Amino acid sequence: METLVYICLAFLLVFCVMAVTSRSILKSAIYLAVASATLGVIFYLMAARWAAVVEVSACSGLVTVIFISAISLSKERKDDIHKKYDDEKRMRFLPHLLIIGGIVLIAAALFIKGFRVPDSTAPAAEDFREIFWNTRQADIFGQIITILIGGIAVSVLFRDSKENGDKG
Amino acid sequence: MTAINLETVMLIIGFLMILAGCYCLIRTYHMLKIIIGIEVAMKAVTLFLILAGYVNGHIGLAQAYVITAIVLEVIAAVICAGVTIGLYKKYGNMDIRNLTRLKG
Amino acid sequence: MKVLDVVTEAFFLAPLIAIVLNTVLPKKFMEKYFSLLSGLVCLIQIFDAGFAAYYMAVNRITSHNFSVFWRAAGLNADLFSLHAISLVFLCFIGMVSGVSVLVGARTINTRKSSYVNLLMTLIIGMNGMVLVSDLFSLYVFLDVVGLSSFVLIAMFRSREGLEGSIKYLITSELAGIFIMTGISFIFMKAGSLDYTVVTKTFAQQGSWTALTYLSVILMLAGFAVKAGAVPFHSWLPDAHQSADTSISILLSGIVIKIAGVYGIIVLVRLFPGVYAIRVSLAVIGLLSIVVGALLALSQGHFKRVAAYSSVSQVGYILLGLSTGTMLGLIGAIAHVFSHAMFKSTMFANAAALHEQTGTLEMDKMGGLQKQMPVTAVSSLIAFLSTAGIPPFSGFWSKLLIILALWMSGNHILAAVTLCASILTSAYLLRLQQKVFFGKAKEQLSGVKEITGSIRFVEILLTGITSVVGVFFPLILLLLQRGGLI
Repeated sequence: METLVYICLAFLLVFCVMAVTSRSILKSAIYLAVASATLGVIFYLMAARWAAVVEVSACSGLVTVIFISAISLSKERKDDIHKKYDDEKRMRFLPHLLIIGGIVLIAAALFIKGFRVPDSTAPAAEDFREIFWNTRQADIFGQIITILIGGIAVSVLFRDSKENGDKG
Repeated sequence: MTAINLETVMLIIGFLMILAGCYCLIRTYHMLKIIIGIEVAMKAVTLFLILAGYVNGHIGLAQAYVITAIVLEVIAAVICAGVTIGLYKKYGNMDIRNLTRLKG
Repeated sequence: MKVLDVVTEAFFLAPLIAIVLNTVLPKKFMEKYFSLLSGLVCLIQIFDAGFAAYYMAVNRITSHNFSVFWRAAGLNADLFSLHAISLVFLCFIGMVSGVSVLVGARTINTRKSSYVNLLMTLIIGMNGMVLVSDLFSLYVFLDVVGLSSFVLIAMFRSREGLEGSIKYLITSELAGIFIMTGISFIFMKAGSLDYTVVTKTFAQQGSWTALTYLSVILMLAGFAVKAGAVPFHSWLPDAHQSADTSISILLSGIVIKIAGVYGIIVLVRLFPGVYAIRVSLAVIGLLSIVVGALLALSQGHFKRVAAYSSVSQVGYILLGLSTGTMLGLIGAIAHVFSHAMFKSTMFANAAALHEQTGTLEMDKMGGLQKQMPVTAVSSLIAFLSTAGIPPFSGFWSKLLIILALWMSGNHILAAVTLCASILTSAYLLRLQQKVFFGKAKEQLSGVKEITGSIRFVEILLTGITSVVGVFFPLILLLLQRGGLI
């Protein structure tokens, strides 16, 4: 079980780095979707089943759809992308930076006493649904307001210009 | 090596993901790549929340936090994509170096 | 408890009912009366806060927990709680939103219903932030405030608006990620994110691990970004300059205070007595005052000078918070009020200038004192209040902050703050001289005074600044009798 979590963590990091350094924006979006799915698997293995479901359906599904629709709304010619955004060359140092960062963090975990995380304790006997609907009322209210803002934003930002007299 | 348990490895991977996201934010010129960088960093934050819940036993409470965080992340991505599309319609490409009107 | 329940639920219900009314009523009707509806909500908020304060003072209740819409059975489910500091901030939110609506009645001509909806969600978000008693809910409402303000800036889809919005968006999301990381490490140790549980768990500083220090640093940095303190201020001038003027009033007058300064107040009260927090707040505050003032000296656009002035005044507020004493807290809150008043006056003048002359570049303006007397006088009084000249309210709030610094032993810091007032006067005097004094330019010969709601706002704000300044010793006496000073 633990080795499976380690493998999934490695995949997560690899896919995230590939999403960030990829040259084509479409491939970045696909790598992000795969990274979200891997994160969902990690959540499931750590006994957080509800969070895994929401992560896979919302992040891996909804955000990817938003990205791909944004990419298709902005059609560009292919050689423009390669000429101007030399992202692969600019981000060439990211793996090196990550390896140095990883070594620094591992050294910190080994030598600084307060940096390591304590071992997991047994889960308290509580049901997620009871906690969510009974005690997290403020968060639910905040989520409803946020979704309302999202709806208003879509109706305001995605409308065609040249009506309502947009300033230039 | 007994000091590195699974939870500390998750902590380290989370910090590396935030580092990758911030590096993407700083170095890229493409506006949609910036959104990908923010998304990667937010995934690291949800990983930290579940790790914290796993460690102190309140995994149900942590899941409640994560679900709310995911909803906020999706709406933030929608608004960011909306503003980006608006800028694309004004300038014709997704280059962030075009945004020089506010100077001083 | 019934009266208090209704009164406190109205903070959330009034904006919600306004949103529903705005959607349900026919569009032509709403286009005419949109400012009336929003103004009504702001008035309800001010009276509600005042009535709740009176009721709680008469019945000697110090705090009240309540829920909205449904009472959850069983556990400790009341997640909103109302106490003295929240009441004060709720009153400020109502006042600045009312001013913004009055200015917006004149300057906003398109997309009025979206403006009303977004303003209502912004008010709900800010009310929520000061009313919750849980760290994670604080973050949720902080995000609500942030998302509403992104869309409000970008709403009119001009090039400057979209550019300012995206720069604000990137920096604000990054700050949110830092805050959330800090919150998750605190959750790891404490087991729950309620304010009382967190205070109890981290009470002894000896039990703090490296992760706890890291989380406090991250949260402080995140809230400092949201407040616009140096060195995290780069988004502030662009966002405040490119937004429509009534939205700039909201942003500069209340949003940076609630999103940033209130977050830091929560942090300081959760971890009392931590020396490192006080030192970093003092450093950030001093840097903000000096750098903000110096950068404001070289700007050419009216709203940009106002934005850098906000950066500088936030430094004063953070210095007041860095003392850790009750006098410093009262001084900081008083300065929040004074700054909201004079910044709103400055932006209302900007709206008047933009409406009448069509430009906001200071080089193109000059000598408008004879042609726009009301605007010139209100701008002069705002300048005097900012610089700390008695008897205006800015003098009293700065005096409280400097006194708090002196009494907690930081004599050098108090002296430096006093001298930094010279920088404040410098850039404001430059602004006043370039726009209003001097000889009138030829192309501005047809310019007349602004009429209507903006003129009313200028007179109202000038009146409030003067009256509060004159009667401030009474407020101090009241606080002393209540045993707070």
